[in-house]
Amino acid sequence: MSLRSANAVDFWRGLALASIFINHIPGFFYERFTHRNFGISDSAELFVFLAGFSARALAGRRDTLSMQTMMLRVGARGVQLYAAQILITMVAIAMIAAAAIVWENPLLLEWHNAAAVFQDPVQAHVGLVLLSHQLGFFDILPLYVVLMLGAVSLAAVHRLAPWAILPGSAAVYLAAHAFRLNVPTWPVEGEWLFNPFCWQLIFVIGFVAAGEGALAFARRHSLLLRGLGLIGAAIGLSIVVFRLWPDPLRMPEPALLFVVDKSYLSPLRLFHALSLVVLFAGLFGHISARVPAIAGYFCLLGRNSLYVFCLGSLLSLAGQLARFHFGGTLGIDTVVLVLGLTLLGLTGWLSELRARLKSSATASRE
Amino acid sequence: MAFGTARAPQEQRYRLAGIVGLCLALVAGAVCAQTAAPGAPAPQRAADGTEIPVTAPPEVAPSELAKISPLCEAPFGDIATPTPLPQLAQVLERKGEIRVLAIGSSSTVGVGSSKPAHNYPNQLGGILKKNFADLNLKIINKGVSGEVSAQTAERMRRLVLMEKPTMVLWQVGTNDALARVPAEDFKATVVETIRWLKQHDIDVVLVGLQYTPHVARDEHYHAVRKALSDAANEERVLLVRRFAAMEFLARVRGQPLLGPDELHLNDLGYRCMAEHIARSMVVSMFMRVKPRPKPGQQ
Repeated sequence: MSLRSANAVDFWRGLALASIFINHIPGFFYERFTHRNFGISDSAELFVFLAGFSARALAGRRDTLSMQTMMLRVGARGVQLYAAQILITMVAIAMIAAAAIVWENPLLLEWHNAAAVFQDPVQAHVGLVLLSHQLGFFDILPLYVVLMLGAVSLAAVHRLAPWAILPGSAAVYLAAHAFRLNVPTWPVEGEWLFNPFCWQLIFVIGFVAAGEGALAFARRHSLLLRGLGLIGAAIGLSIVVFRLWPDPLRMPEPALLFVVDKSYLSPLRLFHALSLVVLFAGLFGHISARVPAIAGYFCLLGRNSLYVFCLGSLLSLAGQLARFHFGGTLGIDTVVLVLGLTLLGLTGWLSELRARLKSSATASRE
Repeated sequence: MAFGTARAPQEQRYRLAGIVGLCLALVAGAVCAQTAAPGAPAPQRAADGTEIPVTAPPEVAPSELAKISPLCEAPFGDIATPTPLPQLAQVLERKGEIRVLAIGSSSTVGVGSSKPAHNYPNQLGGILKKNFADLNLKIINKGVSGEVSAQTAERMRRLVLMEKPTMVLWQVGTNDALARVPAEDFKATVVETIRWLKQHDIDVVLVGLQYTPHVARDEHYHAVRKALSDAANEERVLLVRRFAAMEFLARVRGQPLLGPDELHLNDLGYRCMAEHIARSMVVSMFMRVKPRPKPGQQ
């Protein structure tokens, strides 16, 4: 656990994590304030972009890390994410089951695609381990696992032919749209909500954007990029405000490229998400100067993103169960929000406390 | 919600096109004897304004088609108010391929039934094929368990694009009620989605909320039920009132339509559900007049 000082990546990542916690409670009052209500992309895009951005650091610089070490490092991260996915899925299943028992309401067993686990356990357990059966709202981490395991080869290509990364990724993205490729789910017939063939593109864009060349380019052309960002954000906002959603059935072929769809990370969504990135990337300095407490809080979440993400997923589920039992009133929603954000902060704080104690113990031994 | 939102400007344009069309009552086969009191004829036209051809009467009287088996019998008037299905009737008439997109939560998936062939969309397909010789029917099953309506509505846009259905069979409401999604938000999502589908000449059949003794006293559950019923009435789409059917069978007949966990339909439950939907669809396809919806029913 590195104790880095506050930075923009951690801040935005923390904000994405808090938004994911809020967005994953259907009907939640505070959900209307997250950024997806002001545009056509949501915190998932931000989260995956930043995951790609940070994967660059994990892949290390060309001169300091051997190829094997780098590939092992990235692969190990993928395995760690997989373990986290299995852990939170099992806890979520137990939470759903416990709620059904305590409140004597078996209707709850159906939530979040959990029904198959209880009704068809033989097949569903195989599906859970293969990630072909995912609980609703527990479907981002499987994408992240696949992306991180894929990043082993991404990192290798980055070493050998860095120019090939972006065109290759874009080709896969376009092929997924043209041939309508996605990963099927099993035992419940369907497909992944986050189509990895499409979502890899924003991860790769994040990876490329973290490179020194790209950062220098962004600094040189910051005005141009911000202008483009402003256009993208304005398009996203107008689609929402004036309800100008493109009608999938009135689009020319390949229509999938012109709709606004989350599974396939439609080009419009991608453009909007990247627009927000370039538009707001520089804002962190101001936020950090004016409201350091808030900046510090989100950075704390972002620095400990895996733990915070895992707890946040479970807290969203807890929030839903609380709303089911106590009713979806503003009071309950406020309690859920305050308690949730506090616990997310506490998770980050505890994980850093542990890291601090460990490093001071090491220091005193030396 | 990220996507489940209206396409109002286009809607107005296409509604205008629709208004040009003539009011046309579907002639043909006798309406099932149990259909409720007659009321104003529903305006029937395709969205391009052309009249809908009269559905050819089947070889057997419609009242003989898709009969409910004794184990599933419940008062039909409580289960559905027949509402025209113009696209379905049209495709049937010209013997084209009928593509039914079944979308919704876990009863669509078929959890709790002993094998996939027993989930209700597949059973529905079987019943319909038995009743119409040479029926060219494809059932596309895209259920996701535990999904709220806003999520389904978002998915539906792309699925409709990819699957090009004649009719969408949308099972909806149970999970919104449990997640305490405000009834008015729920209704807005459903209405908007129905309008979009109708604009594109896609028939809609809604399948309502589940019944279990646990939810019979739940206020919000009933509010969502009512919202769904209102949406169906206002938008004039067929709603199969599953709650009423299941409640009747459970209370009056004492039949366990739910599996041992009292939640998931067992094989018989799926069969009854499929029969009720098939019956409602068949009666609707051959209906002549649209009876007034009974207020407050789901």
